[in-house]
Amino acid sequence: MIEQLVDLARRRADGGADALWRRFERTTVAFEWGRLKSAGVTEEAGANLRVRHRGRVGVAGTTAVGGDDVGAQHAAPLLARALASAELGDELDVVFPARAPLPPLTTFFDRAANASLVDLVRVGRSLLARLERDGCRVNVAIERETTATRVANTAGAGGEYRGTGFGVSADVWRIAGDDVLVVSDTLEGADVPSDEALAALVASINVRLDQALRIAAPPEGALPVVFTPAGLSALMLPVTQALSGKAVLQGISPLGAKVGEQVFDARFSLADDPLRVGRTASRPLDDECVPSRTMCLVERGVVQRFIYDLETGARAKTESTGHGQRGIFGKPVPGYTNIVLNDVGAQHAAPLQLGGGLLRDIRDGLLVDELIGVGQGNVTGGAFSHPVALAYRIERGEITGRVKDAAVAGNAYELWKRVGGFGNDARWTESRWAPSVLFEGVSVARR
Amino acid sequence: MIDRLTAALAHSRADYIEIRVERTWSTTVTFRGRRLDSATASEDQGGFVRALHAGGGWGVASFTSLDRLEAMVARAVELSRAVPVDPPIRLADVPPHQADALLDLDGDVRGVTLAEKKRLLEAYNGAMLGVSDRIVDTLAVYRDEVSESWYVNSQGAVLHELRPDVTLSGTAVARRDGTIEKGLESIGMRRGWNSVQDKAAGFREVAERAVELLDAPMVKGGTYPVILDPELAGVFIHEAFGHLSEADFVYENPQARAMMTLGRRFGKPVLNVGDNGAAPGLRGTLPFDEEGTPTQDTALIQEGILVGRLHSRETAAAMGERPTGNARAISFRHAPIVRMTNTYIAGGRGSFEDLIGDVKLGVYACGAFGGQTMLENFSFTAAYGRMIRDGRVAELVKDVVLAGNLFQTLDRIDHIAADFRWNQMGGGCGKAGQYPLPVTEGAPHVRIEEALVGGDVAA
Repeated sequence: MIEQLVDLARRRADGGADALWRRFERTTVAFEWGRLKSAGVTEEAGANLRVRHRGRVGVAGTTAVGGDDVGAQHAAPLLARALASAELGDELDVVFPARAPLPPLTTFFDRAANASLVDLVRVGRSLLARLERDGCRVNVAIERETTATRVANTAGAGGEYRGTGFGVSADVWRIAGDDVLVVSDTLEGADVPSDEALAALVASINVRLDQALRIAAPPEGALPVVFTPAGLSALMLPVTQALSGKAVLQGISPLGAKVGEQVFDARFSLADDPLRVGRTASRPLDDECVPSRTMCLVERGVVQRFIYDLETGARAKTESTGHGQRGIFGKPVPGYTNIVLNDVGAQHAAPLQLGGGLLRDIRDGLLVDELIGVGQGNVTGGAFSHPVALAYRIERGEITGRVKDAAVAGNAYELWKRVGGFGNDARWTESRWAPSVLFEGVSVARR
Repeated sequence: MIDRLTAALAHSRADYIEIRVERTWSTTVTFRGRRLDSATASEDQGGFVRALHAGGGWGVASFTSLDRLEAMVARAVELSRAVPVDPPIRLADVPPHQADALLDLDGDVRGVTLAEKKRLLEAYNGAMLGVSDRIVDTLAVYRDEVSESWYVNSQGAVLHELRPDVTLSGTAVARRDGTIEKGLESIGMRRGWNSVQDKAAGFREVAERAVELLDAPMVKGGTYPVILDPELAGVFIHEAFGHLSEADFVYENPQARAMMTLGRRFGKPVLNVGDNGAAPGLRGTLPFDEEGTPTQDTALIQEGILVGRLHSRETAAAMGERPTGNARAISFRHAPIVRMTNTYIAGGRGSFEDLIGDVKLGVYACGAFGGQTMLENFSFTAAYGRMIRDGRVAELVKDVVLAGNLFQTLDRIDHIAADFRWNQMGGGCGKAGQYPLPVTEGAPHVRIEEALVGGDVAA
């Protein structure tokens, strides 16, 4: 058991220890260019150990573990490597949290755990049948997994939980001459998706594809631009990076000194929610034994707090917010679970219509679904400039075609100060819940 | 180990089966500012099985517990049987090799203490911090690994390989009031401890540049003649063209196949592009790919004409072409897919001065902070740029972002200098969830007669 590893570490490390053990098994099927191509299984287990000795912290990880346990023959070398790492480590006054009650949370769904290869193939075939069209090629991948996680520390805290995951992804390719169009979508959850959710994925792809067949000339100037839930990444990334305690500690977060200040539009609120039922990122406690709780980061435009793990919390002289994430290798880092933008309004399984009702009053503008190069450059600073990968022209409230050679630019912090509107099409895009958002005066250039 | 793998093969019934087992030792040391962020040593191990049953698709299994080897071989065969494919998957013939391919470890990193690695990185990190008090933050990472692998397949291949990899990277952040600039150093080699000594100068240089950039104006957006330095030219050819030459993109997609027809003109006669997995000592270099195919130098564009593409055994068979040794996997966790190795624009004629001599107003784009391609569209962020005025290199400019259409841009390459070099950088390539795959890019200085440069996009 992992408790034995922690016990072993307690005897050698004078400042305590914590550890994580994780196992997962996954089944995948892949349809490549329209035909079933492969089926696979993955089984993986590993352990990550952190020790504090003579005031210094060290970490080690290994996949050389027995099937369901960290055996004694593997525990000793793992501890030796963690202690060697601590010998060089920086002094850090990290305090391993004491035992605390964990919130009740369902993370394991029998239907996902028991889904057979045949079930996965059936889901894939039904999607394929609904997405195939002349002149296009379709890739579909379906996977299900189960995970088991145990965490424990020398202060007596710990927990274990099992989880499930079910993922569906599809992309449709249309190549006409040198024009390459790819429209894709994914569904990810802890349970098997409902028929409605699958139908919504099909509709989301088909609607965007239909609207993309006609090419429109790009507009130019400072224009109203609607970002779809997926297209919103370029505007969300600077904010989530700046709200990480890691960026604050480094002194590179533009929000570092702004707690309590009105920085964003008063209709903008942001939370991190590890307790959402049905999401794969949800868990009763984080990877450092801190119980999960829903945390408001921005409320009505006012910055509330930053996310911390044990180490960044200790360095910032504050508490961990329960955002410790650790893999098998390397040390824990602060990380988000489910990011929720404006948890209000109707929750549709799919966009009722592209743009979430925000296009109506736009005389000339752009609808952006995907940009190229998001995450490159100086993200935290807020300035962005990206060519569009998938965007549509809006004229007199209607989509008039796909725009190919255009780029959008702006500063995320400036734009979030004055939001033109939030759509009624909130949905999950990976682990982010957000609707479409309209911004006025985004600079759009032709290429 | 090989005996155990061949025994497992002998017990299985499938038309084709391959087994790979890997054991990887790695260490990572990270400095953030003056503080050691972490120093860790890791051990990773696991196996991968891939099977083809007659008329079936690929059955694939990966696992970390080697006790499960025999069970996972059986599972892979069962999975292949469960997914019938019509027409069946065929593999191009490759003579089975039996080899001990143990690359030179060049100072085995496993024999060097974590403390020595920390000292080395501390010195390089210190070189960045020492440049100026404007350097407010740094991130320096040392990473090494030695990977031992055993590979067998049912056609008689038996390979035992030992591969080293060592990378160093440094980010220097300069700040004055609200302005933040950064410099990036990256070194990576398929070698060992000896090859990463005496590298302080490069770290110092990028920190100096980050400080200089604080005073540099933003490049004025517009269309210019653009000269790419060898680093950016290498990243460009890898990202913008290389991925399209991977045959898994075209082999079962008639429209893509039409777009990438051999014989199509992609550029002017000055343009020669290839991928060479057999070039000595580079990160993308391997004796054999992950299907046991020997690596080679593959011409992709010759004198502007598309002449080749990169293959796995499966894509080669499907297209009636020869395997090129480009089926690669980042680890036992993944199936081999078609990937680049060391991709290059071949050297041309003349010097850098010859390229800029007749440029009245242009941009010299240097280094790469990042790049992304969405098929025919790309966007690259240069680390920094210099204006070219009246045939001479002039002032430093920042926020040089190149964006454009691949086909148009390749066709506008009108001059390629002779100063070819491999860029031995860290990091790696990402595709289909497999990142980072060690690759190298190489190029000389390259001129694009007209390209869109955007810093800020004018509203």
